[in-house]
Amino acid sequence: MSLVYLKLFVADVLPYIAGIIFIIGTLNRIINWAKSPVALKIPTTCGQQKTLPFIRRTWEDRLDSPYTMLETIGRMILEVFLFRSLFRNTRYWLDKQKGVDTRWLWLFALAFHYSLLIIVLRHLRFFTNPIPGFLRWINILDGQVAVVPPLYITGILALVALFWLWARRILCSRERNISYPADHLILALVAGILITGNLMRYIFKVDLFAVKEVALGIVSFHPVGAAVVNQIGWIFFVHLTLVCVTIAYLPFSKVMHFAGVFFSPTRNMPNDNRAHIHINPWNPQYHGITWEKYYEMYKDQLDEIAENGYKVKPEV
Amino acid sequence: MVEVERNGEYVKVEQRFTSWKDLLKPITEKDFKPGFYHYPILKRDAEELGIPYRDWDPLEPDWHLPEGWKETFLNKFKELLEKHRQFKVFMDICVRCGACADKCHYYLGTGDPKNMPVARAELLRSIYRRYFTKAGKLFGKWAGARDLTEDVIKELYYYLYQCSLCRRCSAFCPYGIDTADIVWRGREMLQSIGTVQRFSYISIAACIRTGNHLGLLPGGMAGSLKNAAEDIYDITGVEIEVPINKKGADILFVVPSGDYFATPHWYALMGYLMLFHELEERYGFTYTWSTYAGEGGNFGTFASYELAQKLSHKIYEAAEKLGVKWILGGECGHMWRDKHQFMATMNYPPPKTLEDPVNPITGTYFENAAEAKIVHIAEFVADLIEHKKLKLDKSRNDHWKVTFHDSCNPARGMGLYEEPRYVIKNVCNYFYEMPEHTIREKTYCCGSGGGLLTDEVMELRMRGGMPRAMAVRHVHRKYGVNFLCTICAIDKAAFPHLFEFWKIPVEVGGMMELVGNALILSDEEKERELDLRGNPLPGKGGEE
Repeated sequence: MSLVYLKLFVADVLPYIAGIIFIIGTLNRIINWAKSPVALKIPTTCGQQKTLPFIRRTWEDRLDSPYTMLETIGRMILEVFLFRSLFRNTRYWLDKQKGVDTRWLWLFALAFHYSLLIIVLRHLRFFTNPIPGFLRWINILDGQVAVVPPLYITGILALVALFWLWARRILCSRERNISYPADHLILALVAGILITGNLMRYIFKVDLFAVKEVALGIVSFHPVGAAVVNQIGWIFFVHLTLVCVTIAYLPFSKVMHFAGVFFSPTRNMPNDNRAHIHINPWNPQYHGITWEKYYEMYKDQLDEIAENGYKVKPEV
Repeated sequence: MVEVERNGEYVKVEQRFTSWKDLLKPITEKDFKPGFYHYPILKRDAEELGIPYRDWDPLEPDWHLPEGWKETFLNKFKELLEKHRQFKVFMDICVRCGACADKCHYYLGTGDPKNMPVARAELLRSIYRRYFTKAGKLFGKWAGARDLTEDVIKELYYYLYQCSLCRRCSAFCPYGIDTADIVWRGREMLQSIGTVQRFSYISIAACIRTGNHLGLLPGGMAGSLKNAAEDIYDITGVEIEVPINKKGADILFVVPSGDYFATPHWYALMGYLMLFHELEERYGFTYTWSTYAGEGGNFGTFASYELAQKLSHKIYEAAEKLGVKWILGGECGHMWRDKHQFMATMNYPPPKTLEDPVNPITGTYFENAAEAKIVHIAEFVADLIEHKKLKLDKSRNDHWKVTFHDSCNPARGMGLYEEPRYVIKNVCNYFYEMPEHTIREKTYCCGSGGGLLTDEVMELRMRGGMPRAMAVRHVHRKYGVNFLCTICAIDKAAFPHLFEFWKIPVEVGGMMELVGNALILSDEEKERELDLRGNPLPGKGGEE
């Protein structure tokens, strides 16, 4: 009996708590950032600046050292969707004193994030009725490995990429050095979600119609009753609990980088500093030695320069 | 442990790997190594700049921190978070992916895990979490937070002055976290409790007083320019008049003050004077030096926003008082981070008396400097060369096989990559690039920037310069490169020591030295036999 209450709590209450914490926490963070002004325009310029017409400036330069608004948007798109800066990554071999391109981190990070994105999109079919066409297409494309039920590529890929990223934190001495418990915690949570999700799909199958009723109930604010939750296996509730805990934890974790990257002035500002001056709202007044004060301080020597006609000549 | 060769001998780089708990455990004076820690600020400079002063020694256990230092420090922390959005964001969003770790030349050269950019930022983030986030307050070290203790201050002092603010890590960071910005803020906090280094504050105080970092009085600066004109006479036989504080000139010219004294900066200074003389003779170009704004560089950008503003202000004020049309800036590294990204914002608005930056000789409008009205010498010279306004004899640089070092700040803070290359290729016959992982946006620092150009941290500088030195050694062995061209005054001061340490027989010099060598002056009567250093020119008398 008490188990039903627990299931009802997870299905009907927990998602709302998590959602509220997530929305308020995230907004709080973003508003907190936005409250501080941007004092200086400090883009990291990774390509040729816009300058004289005969100086070659390739499209890469335009995106790595943007001058116009459009180019800056381009840079942000590359950064957010293709992880441009990670693509630049190198590894330094100290014994040979040589750097070489290493794109493994880029590759696995990209695989991980895109898999998660597609997984989230796939889940939207539980929350929509009727299911929009593009969601059907994602399901079909993702399920090209023909077993029954079709194996979702992303479900496996996300898990593989996650364990690669985690192994890096455990096995590479440098990364182990800088990994806090919080870094392992978030990986553990996501690993838990992916594992329970995959188990639910292929081994401990649950009643998907009932799950869809729960999902639709959440988004339509009509929570389901005991009859529905009793049709669903325990693993679904483990999965949902982990999802809710993770969502509630996001605003307090490093995962806020998903929003923070848009606030990073080294990437989101154009390299047009001298053409368009940035204004700092709290710029203090200058308090220092003025030209007149300086003249008083070194009158003799300045007058001597003046007597010589404001110039010096070689003695020959 | 890895050994790096230096001409038969070996330098050991011991890579230490600890755990996350050690990341939060401060290093104190007991672990300070000679050659890695800075001397503290001098009384005279502290008093002049209004920084709290007391007598203290970094190697003593008691640092005599001022009364209420903890509140002062945390209040400054709060103030800076409220003033700088990027600082807040950078405190929050790091995921510790490690992409920056082996991008720092100090980490590569020392093997010290706290020299990884991520660890350097964690020095402050751990305090941020403890005092400004709920998770840190609740879970302490399990959330990566730590208390602010006297030992933590010691660690901050040790490591925030082991960063040259080169921003190499920022180019690789997927969120663009700028360690230079974090370190700059951290140093501001240390400044609020008077726990700062000696070197850059000597120059800052001198610059506020006299208008240049060296503390030259107007007569000294004039004398120095006169000496340079005399050296030019000895080599070319041309008498050059150098205008100083001259009102009504078209252009104000500013350089880092190292150029007035140091070698190899000196040869670039001769190059400037020759170029302007030639332009004056042929095209009626007028310009002036200013003793009030005798400094292009800005050591304030290593210390705090307010000090940076105090130094850069003088350039605009001088430009206004002298009635020039616009400002031309010489070869310098952090100067151009300041002139390109900071100066106009810190001194907004620029004087109304300034006009559009138009090259009076070619008519080119420097659109990219439209509002700030300050143009880089490489942009200016490239424009002159493109319009064929200079007579150049490339063969006078034939004794040099040149490579170009992208200085950190003009590269990653400005995007000045092609202009100096364009100039160099037009004045030299032999130009070779270093490996692609060490140039352009991936360029390695000389190891001495950001306020580290001081002898007490020599070992740190030599180790930090290792990746750059190895790249130079590579092109020296492969192509016989014997000249490293650079457009930064700190590079010019640092590289000769670095190459001596790593035993690499390569000379260092500025772009304008090469231009000065190649430049044929219209009023030059006899054929030049010496280059600006007094070396015999190839094929022109003397030995080959």
